[in-house]
Amino acid sequence: MNCETCQELIHDLIDGSITQRDEFTLNTHLKDCLDCDSVRQDLAAIVGFCHTQRGQYEAPPNEQALWLRIRNVIEAELPSAVTAKPQRSFFDRLMGRSWELSLPQLAASTVAIVLLVSLVTVVGLRRWGGYGVAPAPAQVEASNVNDRIWQRRQVIDYWNQRIELNKARWSPEMRQTFERNMQVIDQAVANSLDELKRNPHDEISEQMLNESLNDKLALLKEFSDL
Amino acid sequence: MKTSFLTWRSSAPARFLAVGALLALTSLPFNVTAQQQLSRRYTAGKDVRIELKNISGTITVESWNKNEIRLTATIESKKAQVLPKQTDQSLVVDVMSDNRGRGDIGYINFKLQVPVNSSIDLETMSGNINVANIRSGLVRAHVSTEGDIILSNIVASKVVAQNVIGDIFFDGEFSSGGNYEFKSNKGNITIRIPANSDFHFVASSPARRIALNDFWNNNLKSHDGRKYEGYVGDGRSSVSIINYSGQITFMRR
Repeated sequence: MNCETCQELIHDLIDGSITQRDEFTLNTHLKDCLDCDSVRQDLAAIVGFCHTQRGQYEAPPNEQALWLRIRNVIEAELPSAVTAKPQRSFFDRLMGRSWELSLPQLAASTVAIVLLVSLVTVVGLRRWGGYGVAPAPAQVEASNVNDRIWQRRQVIDYWNQRIELNKARWSPEMRQTFERNMQVIDQAVANSLDELKRNPHDEISEQMLNESLNDKLALLKEFSDL
Repeated sequence: MKTSFLTWRSSAPARFLAVGALLALTSLPFNVTAQQQLSRRYTAGKDVRIELKNISGTITVESWNKNEIRLTATIESKKAQVLPKQTDQSLVVDVMSDNRGRGDIGYINFKLQVPVNSSIDLETMSGNINVANIRSGLVRAHVSTEGDIILSNIVASKVVAQNVIGDIFFDGEFSSGGNYEFKSNKGNITIRIPANSDFHFVASSPARRIALNDFWNNNLKSHDGRKYEGYVGDGRSSVSIINYSGQITFMRR
């Protein structure tokens, strides 16, 4: 079995629609191919995450304004689509393709779109929410830092969820090591945040905060593999 | 006398002691044999690359005067497996991949003897890393959680040492055009280099614990004592050091 066929079958495996024979062939391939096994683990984690989080996301603020903006963009692009040359571009081919999605895939896609739209809306509102009133540079800087922290925390939350699923398999020593080291990194994050509260322009604290959040993410990713 | 000896042997404390001694004697060999030993030799060119990704345990790498690699490993658990893979120019040991799904495999201590020009790329989730007497393009030591890193007599154009908890000690030379990165969250970072070293550096310590000693000069820029940057000599190599709560110390070799 090649990796392409394998990765197609992984979807069926996660959906539960795989045949016994295909499952056997797939498992044989997964034992030998680390890349495909990693794809399977990631996909399973994403679908699992979406299942557990279904319906728990916050609605984007000012939903109606968001839909109006989306509609305006679509309408603005319609005339150019009508006058387009008959040659089919990559985008056309992509859009013209028929998509067959299973229920979990559809659910996962929906949740992903909702997340993306929420993210764009929140970032957009924070950045351009002043509607004509130019924010002070200090405000912009603080808001940029907050945006970055917020975005990073979203990713950290995702990896935290994965860690929680895996923790049960760890030995007590490993759990203690993880907690001890995470505490040290969290302390560095907290110190940088305190300093930034006192002085929002402090570049050193901002750099330290970025580094600490990167460290935290790296540690979470590494332990989620165990 | 004979009667008293027999009486002594049959007393309850004596039996208890005898059983205890017997258990102590028998448990020692069992503990020793529970570990596995692995020893392998590989032929290698002079510019070989060693990649080792461990989970837990000490890693020791030192050079020797042979064009071959000797790998020895002490493996705590019988569940664990170590499957080194050799290609033309590299030897790869990935304990993480080799033992995925096997649960806790305990520690694995590695000792590697390598040609002096070997590039070294080491990672472990926890445990100490010691590298000595290497002259090559890369020495990288990454401890994801806790463990000391000691790099002795190193001349490499790229050196990376990083941990969360633990000390980092670098003793070596900065090559012209080289790149050096040291980072710890909680531990001391000590850099021991020749007095005539030329480098550009950025050292950050929110705890304000930076001692430049002989490498201090008036052209260095201090940011509130938490960050120093500038040139020492003509700055032909680039050095970056971050330590959140420990001490950063420069020492003359």
